[in-house]
Amino acid sequence: MVDLISYSGTAIARAIKGNSSTRDSVYAFFAARAKKLNRSLNSFVEIYDEPVCGDGVSSLAGVPIAIKDNICLKGKKITCASKILSSHVSVYDATVVARLKKAGLAIIGTANMDEFAFGSSTENSCYGPAKNPWDTSRVPGGSSGGSAAIVAARLAPFALGSDTGGSIRQPAAFCGVVGLKPSYGRVSRYGLVAFGSSLDQIGPLTTNFIDCAHLLNIISGFDEHDSTSASVTVPDFSAALVEDVDNLKIGIPKEYYASTLAKDVKDAIGEVIAFFKKRGAQVIDITLPHTEYAVATYYIIGSSEASSNLQRFDGIKYGSRQTGNCLRDIYTHTRAQGFGSEAKRRIFLGTYSLSSGYYDAYYVRALKVRRLIKNDFDEAFKTVDVILTPTSPTPAFKIGEKTDPLSMYLSDIYTISANLAGIPAVSFPCGFTKDKLPIGAQLIGKDFDEATLIRAGYTFQCATDYHTQIPKIAYE
Amino acid sequence: MNEFDIVVGLEVHVQLETASKIFCSCSTRFENPPNSNICPVCCGYPGVLPVFNRKALELALRVSLALGCQLNKKIYFERKNYFYPDLPKNYQISQYKMPLGENGRIDLLSGSTVRIARVHLEEDAGKLVHREQHSLVDFNRTGIPLLEIVSHPDINSPGQAYEYLNALKLILQYIGASECDMEKGSLRCDANISLKRKEETKLGTKVELKNMNSFKGVRDALEYEAGRQEASILKNEQIFQETRLWDADNSRTEVMRSKEEAHDYRYFPEPDLLDFTVEESLIELQRHSIPELPLAKRRRFLQTYRLSDNEIDTIISDAWLSDFFEQSCRIFAKPDRISNWLLGPFLEQVNLLPDTFDGVKISPQNFAKIVQYFSEDKLNNLAAKKTLALSVATNRDIDEIITQENLIQVSGQEELSSFVAEAIQEGAKAVKEYLEGKEQAIMFLVGMVMKKTKGKANPKVVRQLLEESLKK
Repeated sequence: MVDLISYSGTAIARAIKGNSSTRDSVYAFFAARAKKLNRSLNSFVEIYDEPVCGDGVSSLAGVPIAIKDNICLKGKKITCASKILSSHVSVYDATVVARLKKAGLAIIGTANMDEFAFGSSTENSCYGPAKNPWDTSRVPGGSSGGSAAIVAARLAPFALGSDTGGSIRQPAAFCGVVGLKPSYGRVSRYGLVAFGSSLDQIGPLTTNFIDCAHLLNIISGFDEHDSTSASVTVPDFSAALVEDVDNLKIGIPKEYYASTLAKDVKDAIGEVIAFFKKRGAQVIDITLPHTEYAVATYYIIGSSEASSNLQRFDGIKYGSRQTGNCLRDIYTHTRAQGFGSEAKRRIFLGTYSLSSGYYDAYYVRALKVRRLIKNDFDEAFKTVDVILTPTSPTPAFKIGEKTDPLSMYLSDIYTISANLAGIPAVSFPCGFTKDKLPIGAQLIGKDFDEATLIRAGYTFQCATDYHTQIPKIAYE
Repeated sequence: MNEFDIVVGLEVHVQLETASKIFCSCSTRFENPPNSNICPVCCGYPGVLPVFNRKALELALRVSLALGCQLNKKIYFERKNYFYPDLPKNYQISQYKMPLGENGRIDLLSGSTVRIARVHLEEDAGKLVHREQHSLVDFNRTGIPLLEIVSHPDINSPGQAYEYLNALKLILQYIGASECDMEKGSLRCDANISLKRKEETKLGTKVELKNMNSFKGVRDALEYEAGRQEASILKNEQIFQETRLWDADNSRTEVMRSKEEAHDYRYFPEPDLLDFTVEESLIELQRHSIPELPLAKRRRFLQTYRLSDNEIDTIISDAWLSDFFEQSCRIFAKPDRISNWLLGPFLEQVNLLPDTFDGVKISPQNFAKIVQYFSEDKLNNLAAKKTLALSVATNRDIDEIITQENLIQVSGQEELSSFVAEAIQEGAKAVKEYLEGKEQAIMFLVGMVMKKTKGKANPKVVRQLLEESLKK
């Protein structure tokens, strides 16, 4: 069974082929690994002894999958890695969970994360930090750090994460896996505990693009429970699994190659560019002039929405409640003790931005800049099909290294714009540093054109072996 | 109050008559036990999202059009943020910057007009029940679609406020938008009131009044508050901008909170609902579904039917009743007779039905037929009422009832003469009194004949026959 860790999820599904005893032994294999390695990686919040799965049939039936701890699964704890929800059991299934069940996947447990998805390192978790499987003294990225670490260490072939400003792609880059943020509206948000409602998307984390395409097929599509889900046709993403970048126009935005970019990362991306050129793609220099405002814009819009979204956690209806002499005391004690410091920081920032007197200067202005950033992409996509950038300016950093919130925020500098513009983007493994830390490249696509991202990524994957490398800890 | 003008503006919240809530599919039934009409969405569970109920939009459009509002065709929701236990998300989805309707009006019977500032959609909050040591929350009402209708401060007396509310209620009931039942909470009203000296142009400090449970309560609260403010001003006391609660038991208002504690609601666009533009076709559909409105109907009825003001007001106080009246008049063109029977025996019967108007089955055709038979002496009063009683909740065939129950009035001299003779014989005492000049005594004899004929005799004919026999 040890072989299973080098299998892709699709290959495991083929091996199971509807055979329930094989399915059970596959599950037992991964559940045992997960329990054992979680002691060193802390990537799971909960591991289920028995899988949660529907009896559906699909090309991925039986494959274990972890879900981020902010996606609702009926009858199971959902905590968003926050003390304020530490006892909360979901009373309903998120739409993506219903779709996983319908497709017969085996949900193995919930993945660790930054509290309410606030963070880029999975250090802001009430369960303690998750570790990077390539170097456990380093962070796995965040906020979907648990999900990325689980897939990288082969504790489950698949995981779902959520991405508000890079929370799928940055950990995917740090852990050496494929992480895709779909176009806004491609995947239903119903049952995803909201952070920034206009930015959030659920997406797949897998070891490779074949798995990514199949998993994306299962979770995509319009949902009547989510008014912001798009009623557009979902293509069969597995049809994009072809090696063909001939004449593909790839844009290289100069703003993403600043001097702060780590040399290892810069070199690795340079090789990706060279590869695509060699395979017949046209590489075109472009400009996305408003990029420098993306981080500030994102932190105003995301925090504003979050401050309102998190108001429901007041101890009255569910979650933990502190006592107090009056209603106001109950609210303040519950929230002061229930939320971690990063959550409080975002709530303060968002509340301030929405306050009368500051609203126009912050929130309204941020909405205008968001429009300009979107316009930059619209303009660029008149001449190119996809945009290639690094996913993160650095590889995984040390746990505890970034103590200043602002420097942490800047680790999302290359991923945030795609959320502001609502367009799809994917991070995939494209090399290693000399210390054997994974490096990720990011492809950003046109609205609802995940297929081209998958095609380009798959072409690169077929010619390289970065995605097949497995961290040593996986063999322990 | 001679020195002062009263300035009043009203904020009315009406519950739109939809089967399900505004952002989820829970029922809106009033009678259900606490916390039975709830789901994760209206209880604000983590991860839920709102989905807008189009039926609420249709009704809201109809109201805006009926009130003559200009429409904002772009539908745009915002979040109003504040913490309270009856508000599960701690924000209310509402419309702030762009209300659905603006600049409308209601013309009152007394000749004045009250301008409507805005009409906007929002979700209702839940209900708190306070016990000694704790409080309970009922979320049944959470997410019920509400329409907030805000008037300009054009109202200048408590009486006019009362008239405005009645006019508004009638319009909303006519167009089928709301039940407007204050007891069930399907209509709530807050009032803003200030006084200013007649020569003054600047408005005085306004006070907001809450907790009125009936239209009369609104009128009484305004009456009290106008008096209180006048007395304060005359004593040179300051009027504070504050919210006061109406205490109906003690007929006075009390301070609830002052404006210094006012919230910053941090309105911002609701990111879970995308903006959209209402299709022209939907607007037209709603425009065409608006029936003749009460004021116009009243004018037309006055001209067409020549009834008293009181009769007309009662008939048009209910859209269904006025339609029934008109259809009945088309069958039997004696409006005064139709009106008498409609407002008398018919309403009496309706009130006996367990579900009143909802239980009425009789067609206007059958109702008009009963009135016609009575007018043509085919049925006497008693028989006509009995026929009505038997058909109001069944719509049974009138002629069949009359035959089966043997109710046709007997007016023929031949059929009645033997009964008349019997009555004269058996009622010797009454005959004696009558002949001695006590005219009323003849009614006793009429009654005897009625009894003998089991109520079928035509009392007028009986009396006539008795008088003729006794004169001989």
